[in-house]
Amino acid sequence: MDELPEKIQELIAEMDKAAEDEDEDAIKELTQKLQDTGADVEAITLKKLSLLVMDGEEEMTQGWTGVAIQIGMDPFKVLIEGLAAGMSLIGKKYEQGEAFVPQLLIASAAMYSGMDLLAPYMKKDESSRSKAVTVVIGTVEGDVHDIGKSLVKTLLSANGFNCVDLGNDVPASRFIEAAKKNQATAISMSTLMTTTMAEMPKVVKMLENEGLRDKLLVMVGGAPITAGYAVQIGADVSPHDAASAANWLKGAIFDFPSESVRWD
Amino acid sequence: MVSEMTSKERVLAMLNRKPVDRVPVITGSTMVKEYIEKSRSSWPDYHSNAEMMVNTASLMHTDAGLDNIVLPFGMFIESMAIGLEVKMGRIDIQPSVRSFFSKPEEVKYDNFLEDKFVKTTLEAIKLAKAKYPDAAVTAFLVAPITLTGDLMGAENLSMLSIKCLHKEKQMQKMQDWLSIALEINRVYAEACVEAGADIIYYSDASASPNLVMPEFYYQVAVPAEKEIGDFVHHLGCPWELHICGDTVPIIEGMASTGADCLSVEQAVNMKEATKIAEDVPVVGNVTPLLMVEGTEEQIIEETRAGLDSGAKASMLGCGTPPLSTSDRLKTWVKAVADWSADNL
Repeated sequence: MDELPEKIQELIAEMDKAAEDEDEDAIKELTQKLQDTGADVEAITLKKLSLLVMDGEEEMTQGWTGVAIQIGMDPFKVLIEGLAAGMSLIGKKYEQGEAFVPQLLIASAAMYSGMDLLAPYMKKDESSRSKAVTVVIGTVEGDVHDIGKSLVKTLLSANGFNCVDLGNDVPASRFIEAAKKNQATAISMSTLMTTTMAEMPKVVKMLENEGLRDKLLVMVGGAPITAGYAVQIGADVSPHDAASAANWLKGAIFDFPSESVRWD
Repeated sequence: MVSEMTSKERVLAMLNRKPVDRVPVITGSTMVKEYIEKSRSSWPDYHSNAEMMVNTASLMHTDAGLDNIVLPFGMFIESMAIGLEVKMGRIDIQPSVRSFFSKPEEVKYDNFLEDKFVKTTLEAIKLAKAKYPDAAVTAFLVAPITLTGDLMGAENLSMLSIKCLHKEKQMQKMQDWLSIALEINRVYAEACVEAGADIIYYSDASASPNLVMPEFYYQVAVPAEKEIGDFVHHLGCPWELHICGDTVPIIEGMASTGADCLSVEQAVNMKEATKIAEDVPVVGNVTPLLMVEGTEEQIIEETRAGLDSGAKASMLGCGTPPLSTSDRLKTWVKAVADWSADNL
């Protein structure tokens, strides 16, 4: 933003304040003023949104999402190139050890707050979008910790995946039911505790017994889970963290048969 | 050469930074399925029956050869006693806290010591002391940040831990929750020490860099842990501090709390941790899962690696998994004894 003319930077600063104060009238007025300068307001808005999500600035993210809506931007573009891009930025920092879980959580809250505002506009566009790849996600039975699982879900969502979140303490059979019902591409299981790790192979076994194993990618993760354990129980991968999970799945689906072939 | 010590003497010597006859082997939790079955305890009664609990927990000492007996089973007593919902788990799954409060005013703890699970802990401590005077009887309590997380919900704790660093109003909110957790900590710790606990083992799992910012740990958690730690010392009891995850970024802070030893898990580089902690003993950091499915060679190798790197007691990363087997626990204890014979 530093490279923008001073006048525009001043307007952006005023917009930040109006957004923080949740002053809708001021946001409208400033949006008009920004447009009047002839600046590329769409580009500015996308950039602002990604930075605000990265910093976990919930109110300001909502305010700038309001700007995007007001100027009639494509909501899908706002989601992917603004909100989700910000989540990816903080995800990368986390991956590189430059950010911590609380930063991911507040960024996630900011992203979802913007997504909530966009939701009514997104619906109108659904018909023109290709169906997203579905991931069934949950924390295994006996474990109520779901912060890690929710972060994986957030980053998968930010990368365009459709997540069916089963929550925590999920029995093995529910993963299978949900995968079948949603013709999912992947199952993602997490656990924080060594005590509940044994629930993961149960799910893989059930998939094998029902002849479904080849239809799905299986990701396992959480503090006690290692790559060796994933191999041992017949899962496909144990990504190091939430960002790696999203990156791995993005790559893996390229070589994976489409859902119509798999679930036919 | 130090003459043979009892388990209790050995652990207390380690905490007091004095020579030991062999390196102590200690744990932070003792709910093991095989021992529950062997002692004929039954679920979920062993959580609220002091005799059953001691009969099971003591097998870690009498059968496996660990130096401490840890009570109670799991980190749910404080939450249960103040009315939060707890799922009791199974014979192989420890209980877990399922709900949280929406504001500090909702937390009521006037009758804390009357709760049946709190009473069980206190009775179990007394019973273990009477039956096993040579073992280091250890009360396993939830430390202030983790208890604060139980009160407000772990995700809320994580988010507030970053917000409070930037806004005074949010910091006040954090302190309001934390002061309640500390008050509960004080009431429970005092009762445990009065019941005869030799050591208080404080698990501050949620103070981990996996969940809160290291900056928050230094600004908020260290003073809180120090406050409760000083209180425990004032009662005449030593205390251990455990924090989960890779704690290297906060080891210096952990050491500054006055804890008598720092327990770290397998994610921590032991050599680095012991260097940072200087004269404060660091204990750990054998991978818990090895007690469930590790080979003899793996158990021996990891145990020796931790001790070679400066661990002052051998301990499993973050507690003993319920599916641990007695033969593996014994292999671990023997590995420590063998290392001690070679190195002390």
